[in-house]
This record gives sequence, structure tokens and C-alpha cells, in this order.
Amino acid sequence: MTADLSPMRPTRDPRVTLDDLLEVVLNKGAVLHLDLIVAVADIPLIGVSLRAAIAGMETMLEYGMMRHWDEDTRAWAERSTARRALDLEEDENVVCRMSGGHLLTESLYHGWRPGTVYLTDRRLVVLRDEPREILWETGLDAVTAVRLEPERTVGGEERLRLDVALADGGQERLSAREPGELHALLTEACAGRPTPALPFAFRSPAEEDPPLAEGHLWYHEPRRGGPLWRGGQGRMTADRLVWKSPVDSRPALVLPLADITAVRRVPAYSPAGEDGLIAVHTTAGDEVRLAADDPAAWTERLRAAGAATGPVAAGPVAAAG
Amino acid sequence: MTEHTALYVYALLPDRPDAADGVTGIDGRPLRLVRVPGTSVAALVHDAAPTPLEGGDDQVRRWVEEQSRAVDTVWERTGSVLPMTFNVLVAAEPSPEPSPEDGTAAGTAAGTPVGRSAEQRLTEWVTEQAADIGGQLEGLAGRCELRVDITVDRTAATAGGTGGAAEGAPEGGPDGLSPGMRRLMEKQREHRARATAGQLADTLHAETRQRLLAVAEDYRDRGPTHRVAGETDVLCAALLVRREDIDAVGAVLTDLRARQPAVRVRFLGPWPPYSFIDTAHRARAEEMAP
Repeated sequence: MTADLSPMRPTRDPRVTLDDLLEVVLNKGAVLHLDLIVAVADIPLIGVSLRAAIAGMETMLEYGMMRHWDEDTRAWAERSTARRALDLEEDENVVCRMSGGHLLTESLYHGWRPGTVYLTDRRLVVLRDEPREILWETGLDAVTAVRLEPERTVGGEERLRLDVALADGGQERLSAREPGELHALLTEACAGRPTPALPFAFRSPAEEDPPLAEGHLWYHEPRRGGPLWRGGQGRMTADRLVWKSPVDSRPALVLPLADITAVRRVPAYSPAGEDGLIAVHTTAGDEVRLAADDPAAWTERLRAAGAATGPVAAGPVAAAG
Repeated sequence: MTEHTALYVYALLPDRPDAADGVTGIDGRPLRLVRVPGTSVAALVHDAAPTPLEGGDDQVRRWVEEQSRAVDTVWERTGSVLPMTFNVLVAAEPSPEPSPEDGTAAGTAAGTPVGRSAEQRLTEWVTEQAADIGGQLEGLAGRCELRVDITVDRTAATAGGTGGAAEGAPEGGPDGLSPGMRRLMEKQREHRARATAGQLADTLHAETRQRLLAVAEDYRDRGPTHRVAGETDVLCAALLVRREDIDAVGAVLTDLRARQPAVRVRFLGPWPPYSFIDTAHRARAEEMAP
């Protein structure tokens, strides 16, 4: 490849873009007012627009089989929605999915958070449907034991819960519509995996870097039209702070802790309240703005981590590198 | 049955008398404008039978391409369009039943037992929505949609990296590695390559997203689309940019490629702003989903 530094030009060549174009035309574009579409007598156009709205690339693949779409569209749309609910990794497959929940015990709020339990061939995940957020997840290789435990519900009923013991010593409790089935499938899925006793840990250090801190954070994302506060998940490991929104496919912020020069609290408006705002200064001269419900804790962690890895200053003034 | 009593709608656009001149659409059909008196909006249509298009994959591909080409041409002429999705038809209102409960439903107060024509219905709808449609057309004028698709080649990204230990292990012999263990190590190596590429992808995504957001007026994360074996997705987005900023987006991508030879970039467009149409109507459609 030659080092041509003139700006790349976009292509409209249909040989390159046709699939993307199909997706965009079938998926997007204004749709006439629903009332009008429904009112188009005897033409169940709603089928078409629903399909287009939900579908993605599958749409055009399945367009060829549209003969029976009128009755099939609903069933198909439902399947399609389910498939899109959890973002799967490459080669990852869903083993089972059922309604359930995760018992949150680690923060101030202690209680059941309902959602959908997904068992894949790699992970066990509890996903909240709306707004979509992963409430809890673990890789199957971190699961050391699984057992069913009876629990008396508020209503006095006895229900079976699923207790999951993890390699890091932690234990989590899940509810599930079919706890027995989930237990059986999970046990089976874990049995096929190398045990921690093997001399070669299956987990790679790069991937499983344990978080020093993890929790909800707001990120003031810079944009052309002015910055925008967005909610998401912050995760601080030994060498970096990563922030990711549940609607993005990857993190919008990856900040090496070694680049932090100063961390300070700023008394200004933020979605986390009057004193939730944290400004992080970097070696590049940027200021990254975050907001947290527990700003003191995050500030401390960032300062401590920055001090360990980089030229962080505890005060409001950035220290020289 | 094959009477052309319906309208197949391609797009709404600013009313310019010559905008559809000589433009053909699906199956080479001549297109025309339905102008909406009292507004500055027109609809690009062809006269159609009141049945949706159905066909095999290849035929749908061809139709979509024809539809998009027509919309592109008109977009170049008018500078702004609100494109419709595939298969948007407005049919004539069916003639009222002999004894309708509410005699005024068809809106034919004169007593003629004929429903409104497709053109009347479309015109009425546009008139009702004129303020919203006009606002959107104005807001999107001079803007286009670009699509950016970035992946990293795992082999290139991890070359000389973490794979060494497993590969360097001697064959069979002294270490007594069983085939099963060897397979496991191979899996671990692949796993590490994925993890390393994933971390690189996170970093590249964050910095590229930030640079693109500095240029684009709007941005939609699209999630991965093209899965190529051996590549890890970095970023896949639709951008709304002013036409004069297309090169600025290109420069960001060129720079990324120069710094990271392992990245693969697809850069598509410019297209009419399909992904940036106000989705109010769509949201209502989704509410109706089962």
C-alpha cells in the first residue's frame, strides 16, 4: 500500500455498496404516517414497514420468500427482535433464553432487577430489556459451581433460585422462569470447558483484566454541535479507564491512566447533580468531563490510579509531567 | 386489477417543477411529481397498481438499486430529499360500502359514492404534515449521509505479539504435549489474538469516533454488518455531514490508515440522508409491533 495522504474519497460504486444500500433503503427512510398506511385498504403494508424497521440485512435475504409474509411477518419479527436483543460476539451462540433477574447486592440498592437471562456458549448474561442494559454477566470459564437454592418470596411462595459461584470467590443469585432447565444447561455448558485446574488458564490476561472500579458514569462527549452528556458504564482497570454506552458497540472513551495529569471536582451542573462533575486532565492537554453519583469515590480511585501510573496531581492545578 | 389507482412514493422533496424531468424509477417507469398546493413540498411517485412489489432476492436488489438511483438524481437536483423506504404505496380509498354506518367517512359530502383518489390522500397527508416536512427538508439541505466501516485484521494487528509462546513450544517430545493439550493451546492463542485485537479496536474506536464527531453533524452507531473471518470490528457508523466536509471525514480515515496499517476501511456514499430522517413515524410503527 502506498502512503497516499490525500483524503480518502467515499465510493458510490454499486458493486461495492449494493448490500449497504439495500440495508439502508429497506431499513431507513421516512415512512408515511402510520394511519395512512393502515388505511390503505386490503394492502397490509404494515407488514412491509414493520419488517423493514426491524430487519437489518435479514430483510433482503428473506424478501425472496415473501409469498406468505402476511401471516409470517409477526412471528418472524418476534424472532428477529429476540435475536437482536443481546449482542453476540463472533461465533457466539445462544443456548437458551428466559425471563428472570439478577439479585443486586453490591451497592446501596439491594434487590432483584428483572430482565432476560441468556445462556450462550460463552457467557451467562442478565439483560434488562428497556432501557437495554446488561445488568450482570460472567464468562462461563469463570463459573466454578452452580446450584439451585430454595428461597421464600415476599408472597410466601417458595421459589428455586440459581446460585452461581465464580472463580474470583464471588457468588451471585439469579432468578429464572425455568430454574431447573437453566441449571441443567448451565452445568452442561460449563462442563465442556477447561477447568481452572489446568496448567493453562483459558482466560487471557488482556481480556480479563479485573476492574478496580466499575459502575454507572456520565460522559460529556465532545461533538461538533457542543458536548453531550451520555449515560453509560465506566470501568477502570490497572492501566486504563474505559467508558461505554449501552447503545454503542464499543467504548467512546479509552483513557490510559498514565495519561492523567490531574483529577478535580468541579462545582457545576451535571446530570448527576450539582457536585457530581469530575474533570480529568490529560497529558494531551484535554479535559475529559465525567459525572458520577458517587463522585468522591471515582475521584479518589482515578487519583490513586493516576498517581501509581502517571504524573497525576491531587490538587486543582495540573502538575507538570 | 392492474389499474394504476395507487401511487408508489419514492421521496418527498422541495417543490421544483423540473425535478423529476426524465427520471425513471423501478422497472424503468417514468416518475412524476405530485405537487401539493399551498406548501413548498412535492412527492416523487410513479403510478402503480395497488399491490406491493414482491419478488426474489435478485429482483428486489435490482428494484432497490433503481429506486435509490432515482432518489439520488432528484436529490442532486434539489439538494434535499426525504427518501421513503421500499414499497411505500398510497392506494385510492375504497368506494364506501352501500350502507356505511358513518356516511361521512369517505369525505364525499357531495354524495358521490366514490372514495378519495390516491393523489388526494397523499396531498392531504402532506398538507397536514407540511410544517414538519418542510422543516426537515430545510434542516437536511446540503447534507449527505456517509457510511464508515472500520475493522482490524487480527493477523496484522497481533503479528509478533502474544502468540509466540505457544507457537514456540517444541513438537511432541520432551514436553509430552498431547494432541488435546496442543489443541487447547492453539485455542488459547486464538483467544489471545482476539482479546488483543479487541483492546486495540476499543482504543481505535474511541479516538476515531471522537474525531468523526468533531466533523459530523449527526452520528448513528450501526453495529457491525460485514463479518469477515480474521477481522475484528472497530467502528461502523452512518454520519450526517455537510457536503463540504466530506474531505474532512476522508482525512480522518486516511490518517488512521497511515498510523495503523492493520485497519481496513470502507467509506461509502455520499447518499441522501436515509438514516437521519426524523423517526417519529417509525417509532409509532414499532409501538404497534406485537
